[in-house]
Amino acid sequence: MSNKNISYLTGPLNANNPVVVQILGICSALAVTVKLKPAIVMGLSVMVVTAFANLVMSLLRKSVPMRIRIIVQLVVIATLVILVDQFLKAYVYDVSKQLSVYVGLIITNCIIMGRVEAFALGNKPWASFLDGIGNGFGYGLILVIVAFFRELFGSGQLLGYQVVPLSWYAADGGFYYNNGLMLFPPMALIIVGVIIWIHRSYNKNLQEK
Amino acid sequence: MNKNSNLYIVLYSVVMVVIVAVLLSVTALSLQPRQKSNELDEKKTAILKSLGKVDEKGNAAVEYDKYVNAYAVDAKGNVIDGIGQDAVLEMLFDLKGAIANGTFPVFESVDGQYVFPVTGNGLWDVIWGYVALENNLNVVAGVVLDHKGETPGLGAEIATKKHQEQYKGKEIFKGDKFVSIELVKGGAKEPLYQVDAITGGTKTSDGVSEMLKTGLENYLPFINAKRAAAVSACQECAKECSGDCNSCLCGCESVTEDVAPAEEGAIQENTESNE
Repeated sequence: MSNKNISYLTGPLNANNPVVVQILGICSALAVTVKLKPAIVMGLSVMVVTAFANLVMSLLRKSVPMRIRIIVQLVVIATLVILVDQFLKAYVYDVSKQLSVYVGLIITNCIIMGRVEAFALGNKPWASFLDGIGNGFGYGLILVIVAFFRELFGSGQLLGYQVVPLSWYAADGGFYYNNGLMLFPPMALIIVGVIIWIHRSYNKNLQEK
Repeated sequence: MNKNSNLYIVLYSVVMVVIVAVLLSVTALSLQPRQKSNELDEKKTAILKSLGKVDEKGNAAVEYDKYVNAYAVDAKGNVIDGIGQDAVLEMLFDLKGAIANGTFPVFESVDGQYVFPVTGNGLWDVIWGYVALENNLNVVAGVVLDHKGETPGLGAEIATKKHQEQYKGKEIFKGDKFVSIELVKGGAKEPLYQVDAITGGTKTSDGVSEMLKTGLENYLPFINAKRAAAVSACQECAKECSGDCNSCLCGCESVTEDVAPAEEGAIQENTESNE
């Protein structure tokens, strides 16, 4: 794998992250990050769909009439999502239950269309595929970080397991309360904001003058 | 051909749509049987779970056939003849429709417990559940709740074991009055008939309260008939084992040891009347 290809994979993890740098996919980052598990499943699903949407659109890029390319992109993305959903329902029913409403959210995720528009229409299939994987992963990474803090402080759990000792809770005579605000979407926005802040203070070249 | 001509665009769209349509229909149709059997297994597992028979996903299909007898009752509580086991399970796929038709599925376990499926609306979408009652048709043996699209961490918490554990041992009758089980905020004041609502999931909690109430109300004629039968069987048994009626509901528990043979007879009678 050439250096250029590797940079397609690793770029979106840091300097070109879809969420904190490109500011794409914020809406779903607010919706699915209350718990870690849905966040991980959502991250993986978006990764698969972005990669294959990029691949298919890159293969079609020379034949697509430019005037209806957005419609074509939507059809390709929606088809992929429905196919994934159908296979999950048939073969891994539990996971598909986890996803439930998020399947619809994948179709509307701006990262997928953003990457197809910005990358796949102008690059070769293999590079586009890697770019999709990288961006999906970069998105999933932020989701997991946000979900980690929200589940830990909002419910005292991680992946559904109790992390904060039950004896700490005020209900059992302790001093601790879960932070209810963590369970609501505004808190995800605040956490994403904090991540962007930390990220930019480490990446000086991203700071606007 | 010119890529920007109208003809090309129209042809391109037509070909694309046909390919996509064929692809999706073939996949959906070929995977349908598998998906359906997954859903059926899930429903069977939920029924067994409400009865406390399985903790995690076991071999639901086999266990279910061993433990559960399914039938449907009408609005007056009479068993409808001629509806097979599979047909009753089929009703669960469209429970609202089945209820609108005046058919109410009931699942009776070999131990004489009853499971009643209920359905209602949460905040975003439908919620449903299975309420298992002990054979006195008052005490809750277990509840399984599920939802289509409630918010994770908030309304979706109704589907967790932690929330559902609370229902065990609650009672749906206060004396002779049907009170159902209510989800209340800030701690249950009447611990026999109330459970804690979900923090931050008020609308979903209200939906669950409403669902349990209207859902079980559908079965009230059936439940009352069974209860009346149990009480009269109990009065007979009370005569025989000279205990009071309440202690008799589950079969002459308070009987002294010297009338042990009578107790045995009474238990048999009691279970027979439940069938």
